[in-house]
Amino acid sequence: MDMFLYIDKETPVHRLDPRTKLLLMLLSFVLALSFRNFAILSSVLVGVLLYGAAGGALSNLRRIRVVLLMIALFSMGIWSVATPSDSRFLIFSLDGLLYGVMVAIKTDLMIISGMIFLSTTKIEEIAGGLVKLKLPYRGAFAFSTAIRLVPMIVATSYTIIQAQKSRGLDLDSGSMLQRARKYVPLVIPTLVSVIRGTNVFSMALESKGFGYSDTRTNLLELRMKRNDWLTLGVALLVVAAAFFFNMDSV
Amino acid sequence: MCAFQQRYPPKGAGIYVMNDEKAIVIRGLTFSYRGDEDVRAVKSLDFEVDRGEFVVIMGPSGAGKSTLANSLNGLIPRFLRGKYEGSVLVNGLDAAKHSVSRMADEIGLVFQDFEAQLFSTNVKLEVAFGPENFAVPREEIAERIGRVLKTVNLEGVEGRSPATLSGGQKQRLAIGSVLAMHPDIVCMDEPTTDLDPLGKMGVFAIAKELHEQGALTLLIIEHETEEALHADRLVVMKDGEIAAQGKPGDILRDVPFTDGAGIMPLQIPKYFFELKLCEREELPLLPKDGAEFFRRKGLVLEQSRYKWLIEGDRARERHYGKTIVKAEGVTHVYPDGNRAVDDVGLEIREREFVAILGHNGSGKTTLVKHFNGLLQPTSGKVTVCGKNTAEHSIYEIGKEIGYVFQNPDHQIFAETVFEEVAFSPKIRGCPEEELAVRVREALEAVDLAGYEKQDPFSLSKGERQRVAVASVLSARPGIIILDEPTTGLDYTEQRKMMELVRKLNESGQTVIMITHTMWVVAEYAHRVVVVKDGRVLLDGATRDVFAREPELEASHLRPPHIVSMSNLLGHTLLSVEEMKYCTGGVS
Repeated sequence: MDMFLYIDKETPVHRLDPRTKLLLMLLSFVLALSFRNFAILSSVLVGVLLYGAAGGALSNLRRIRVVLLMIALFSMGIWSVATPSDSRFLIFSLDGLLYGVMVAIKTDLMIISGMIFLSTTKIEEIAGGLVKLKLPYRGAFAFSTAIRLVPMIVATSYTIIQAQKSRGLDLDSGSMLQRARKYVPLVIPTLVSVIRGTNVFSMALESKGFGYSDTRTNLLELRMKRNDWLTLGVALLVVAAAFFFNMDSV
Repeated sequence: MCAFQQRYPPKGAGIYVMNDEKAIVIRGLTFSYRGDEDVRAVKSLDFEVDRGEFVVIMGPSGAGKSTLANSLNGLIPRFLRGKYEGSVLVNGLDAAKHSVSRMADEIGLVFQDFEAQLFSTNVKLEVAFGPENFAVPREEIAERIGRVLKTVNLEGVEGRSPATLSGGQKQRLAIGSVLAMHPDIVCMDEPTTDLDPLGKMGVFAIAKELHEQGALTLLIIEHETEEALHADRLVVMKDGEIAAQGKPGDILRDVPFTDGAGIMPLQIPKYFFELKLCEREELPLLPKDGAEFFRRKGLVLEQSRYKWLIEGDRARERHYGKTIVKAEGVTHVYPDGNRAVDDVGLEIREREFVAILGHNGSGKTTLVKHFNGLLQPTSGKVTVCGKNTAEHSIYEIGKEIGYVFQNPDHQIFAETVFEEVAFSPKIRGCPEEELAVRVREALEAVDLAGYEKQDPFSLSKGERQRVAVASVLSARPGIIILDEPTTGLDYTEQRKMMELVRKLNESGQTVIMITHTMWVVAEYAHRVVVVKDGRVLLDGATRDVFAREPELEASHLRPPHIVSMSNLLGHTLLSVEEMKYCTGGVS
């Protein structure tokens, strides 16, 4: 089972410098968090999706479509009930629903944007990019390793779920409290396995000379090329334009 | 060969006495782990390794092998802390006084757990990681990647993610990623324990090649006795000390010693030793030499006795009950399109003891997971005790069939052994008063009575494995599935585990076992099913399947030495005891 997010392809997006992709992601966050305008938010979403398609990352988005949909439905449900309003249909209000849709777009937009970043950038590139942005290598490595650990933990917990189900653990019945208690046989072996695994991992890391000296070669050559500057230029223009045309709602 | 001689100037302060003769010099090393100060993992150890030497280290669990390995590059005492006395000089450098990353320039360490030591996006970057840390110029790293991948036989997968490789490929990559740093000493700590026979062969082939190139000093900690024969020197450790060392052949011919040291004896010398036919020096080591020696000494296989064995097999088969596991045309296709199981039909009867063999990725685990409903067939049907697994939940099927996963740490969670073993019957609604009976019964079956109040996490691997078996037995399933029950255990623990499984089977339990360990299959299983590419390649009584050596070898499975020798002599005998029983002509 492939648990890793990075999709190994040769696309224009893959070829961009990790710093460019990181910045694009941050800019999309800025846009998502700054605006309440439907037209702007949905055009950014479309833009991000097109960018993702160019990077061949749509298959990963398909993998998390249920999560995205759940977030959207949850947001619409909560806000349509919770927003103060005069006109309501049963307990739902139209203003609230619209607000919920907007929050859903904002949240999904950021998740999608993050997913595209991880699908098109190797963890070594992320680390390398962060080092170029003057972060210490150890910090950058720790950050990129954290991303790598997630799929490892998921794979381990998958085996553990199977082992405990075989012993008769039934996760689908009982009250909320009973169900929560049923997770103990899953959580403890997962933690133990992850701790044991990371212990070997750090021993292997040291045994391969990690931290030997302050200067370190990076096999992947990171250089801002013409396409990077062009992409960043366009992205900044888009952001500036968005702010310009939507001064009042900021 | 020059690739591994080239080195970088030493860096950092410290004693640097270049000793051309010795790669490793250990004097009076004593170490006890923090939190376990009373136990000395190694005791006043003196040990030397010559430059270019190939040393294999063997010994039971807890003998101090890994402690020795980890002290070579300073992981002990810098990473794994405790009370440290004595000195470890590697290329003249005091391992305890330098950082692990500094020592990494001298000695490369490969660990057993290949999953945890690979962390890069693709194979190329994995190999590059070490040299990158040592600031090797980019062009040279690229060159080293090419060379190393050739050495470890991984050309053509440069761009693949390590996660998508097979176990054997992963371990070879781990070795390659260490070689890329150009250490002139490499130490591998049980590199083949988690590998199938094919993966093991790959690793040993690399070790042999590196040794033949001559420049590398090689230390391998291993459980496989047969592979130790290629080494220059065999070191046997026990209780933190070196119990014996010398030419592998000499040590392995000393059968009383290997039996006492808790390492797996070589079967051929053991057999001839027990016949008391010759001096120790004359004992043959390998099947071919054994067969020749057998004939030369005028020995014969007694037909009547062999027939008696066969009759015993038949009688056992007649004693089997009704069919309880039935797979009909089972096919399983994973979402990514991989057809892991392809049209398999299989019937298993009550009280059978079936071993399922096949290399990693052959589909054997996928197949077996259908038997307790963890997986559902894409097409076809599986019935367990008459229940169709598609129509019953895992919970219900689990009453009939228990599944012990390979790694006991994937299921142990409770604070006491009692709680752990009681878990399964408890959630199945077993009343309190019966619970105690069930736990006692299960713990007695695995020989752990009296352990009820112990913390399962503090037990040894072999004991944890037995707790895992007990925790499945307590639900009283009629059928038990064991996935690699002997992996990671030493020879004595393996024997103990398998004697236990045999006892269970004799008391009426049906046993289905996935394993890579061929002597375990030969001595314990009644029936063998070989799976290859998702299909059943061979299925029959163990004796019949092991007679077909060429077909087994095509699946990268090699029968144990004694079986091979008996095959050469015209009959298939499954253990040293059987061989002795049938031997005639001893004057």
